[in-house]
Amino acid sequence: MRRLARFGWTLASAVVLVGLWWLGSVAFPLVVPGIGDTLAQLAVVLTSPGPYGHPWYFHVWKTAEMIAVSVAIAMVVGSIVGVALGTSSRLESATSSWVYGWLAAPSLVIVFVFGIWFGFDATAGYVAVPVVITPFVVLNMWEGARNLDPQLAEMAAFFGADRYQTFTEVIVPQLVPFLFSSLRSALSIGWKITLLVEALLLTRGVGYMFKRGFDNYDLTSMMAWLIVFVALLVVVEYGVLVPLHRRLTHWRPEAEGVRLAE
Amino acid sequence: MTTRAASSDEPDATGSGALELRGIVKYYEKPGRGSVLVLDEVDIDVDAGAFVSLIGPSGCGKTTLMNVVAGLVDPNEGTMRRDGRTVSPDNLSLGYVFQDDRLLEWRTVAQNVRFALKARDVPTEEREGRIEHYLDMVGLAPEADNYPSRLSGGMRQRVAIARALAVEPEMLLMDEPFSSLDEITAGDLREELLDIWRTEGMTVLFVTHDINEAVFLSDTIYMMDRRGQVFARRDVDIERPRHYEDPSVAQREAELYGEFHAHVTS
Repeated sequence: MRRLARFGWTLASAVVLVGLWWLGSVAFPLVVPGIGDTLAQLAVVLTSPGPYGHPWYFHVWKTAEMIAVSVAIAMVVGSIVGVALGTSSRLESATSSWVYGWLAAPSLVIVFVFGIWFGFDATAGYVAVPVVITPFVVLNMWEGARNLDPQLAEMAAFFGADRYQTFTEVIVPQLVPFLFSSLRSALSIGWKITLLVEALLLTRGVGYMFKRGFDNYDLTSMMAWLIVFVALLVVVEYGVLVPLHRRLTHWRPEAEGVRLAE
Repeated sequence: MTTRAASSDEPDATGSGALELRGIVKYYEKPGRGSVLVLDEVDIDVDAGAFVSLIGPSGCGKTTLMNVVAGLVDPNEGTMRRDGRTVSPDNLSLGYVFQDDRLLEWRTVAQNVRFALKARDVPTEEREGRIEHYLDMVGLAPEADNYPSRLSGGMRQRVAIARALAVEPEMLLMDEPFSSLDEITAGDLREELLDIWRTEGMTVLFVTHDINEAVFLSDTIYMMDRRGQVFARRDVDIERPRHYEDPSVAQREAELYGEFHAHVTS
C-alpha cells in the first residue's frame, strides 16, 4: 500500500518535529515553551468564553474572511490582467515594467501606506492584501496565456467553434494549471500579509493575537495560537486545495497518484 | 491563366463538382528577409470523390496550400472554384485531420468528437448517434469515455479521424496524419482510411512527404518543390485494393522519386 507508506512517513516526520520541540524546551526552557504548557494554553484559548461566543473562533474567522476576500479579488483581477498581458504584445511591452515594479514593492511598505490612507481599519487590510498578492497572480497567468497552444486555437477555429466555446473548452482548461498555482501563491503570500496587517493595524484576527502575545512576552500563547493557525492552513490545504486540484486535473495520466501537498 | 481555367467559367461539362484552385499565391513578409513566396501561382484540381495527394519536401508550402482550402490561410491571389462558381472555404464542407492530433486532453474521446459537432452546430439530438457511429468506424467505441492521454499515438490519431469524419464532410483534409506514427500502425491506419474513403464516398486531400504513402493511397498526386510551385500532376492507375508488397506500387514510387530528383537537380 503506497498510500499507507506515505501516511507512515508523514506521521514519522510529525513525531520527529514534536520530539525536537520537546528537546528544545528541555534544553532551553527560557526561550522554547514546553509542550505541556503550550497545550494547556491552547485549551485556555479554545475554551475561554468571550463576547463572540469563543474568541478564538472570532479571530480565526476574521483572518479567514480577509484572506478569502483578498484571494478572490487577486484571482479575478490578476487573471484578467495576466491573460491580457500574455495575449497582447502591445499591452505587454507597454506595461510589463509596471508589473515588475509592483512586484518589487516591499509588502511592508504597501501595508503602511494603506494604513496611513485608511487608518486603523479593516478596509486598509482589504485593500493592502489584494494589492500585495495580485501581481503574483498576474505573473502566473501571464505565463499561462503565453503558453496557450495556437494549434488548438486553429483546430477550434477550423471546426467553427464560437468565442464562448473556444474560451470555455479550449482556453480555460489550458489555464487551469496556472490558475491553480496562482491560487497557491496568492494564498501562501496572502496569509503572511493578512497577519502583518492584523498585527500592525487591527485589533482582531490571528495576527493581532500573535502581536498581543509578543507585547506580553507570552511565548506560550504565541505557540498555542500558532497551533490554531497551522490547523487552519492544514484544513484549507486538505479540505480545499487537494480536492480542487484532483477535480481539475482528473484527466491527467499522473492524476492517479496525486502528489500535491508537496 | 491556363486554358483549363478559362473553360471553367462555364459550368463543368461533366458536372463533376471538382474543386479547382487557380493561381494561388501566398507570400509572407518576414522582417529582414523581405517577402517570402510560399505558393507561386498554384493550380490544382481536386476531383469529387478522388483521393488526391500533395507531395513535396518539407517547407514546400503543401500544408499552406491545404490551409488555403481549409480557410486557415488567406491567399494573396487566386481563386477557388467549383462547377464554375467561385467558392470560399465557408462554402465547402470540410473535415481536417492535423499532423499532430490536436485533441483536447481534458476532454474524453467522445467529448473531443462532440466538440467538433457542437462547433459545427450539429443538432444536439444527432450528436450522440454520430459520436457512436464514427468512433465505431475507427474502432474506438470502447474508449469513448477514456482520456486521450491514456491512448497510444495511433489511437489518438484515430480519434482525430473520427472527429473529422463526424462532421460528415464532403472533403477530408489530412496533413501528414501518419507521419508521427510507427510504420506498422501507420500501415494499418492507411488501409482503414482507404476502407472509410470507399464506403463514405468522400473526397480526400492528403499532404505527405512520403512518396510511397502517396502512391499507395492516391488517385492523383501533385508534386511540389521548394519554390512553392506545383511542377507535375501524376495519376496512379494501380488497381484497388492495393497492397504494400505489390511491385507496381514500388515501381510507381521509383518513377516519381526519379522525377523529383530530376526536377530538383535540373
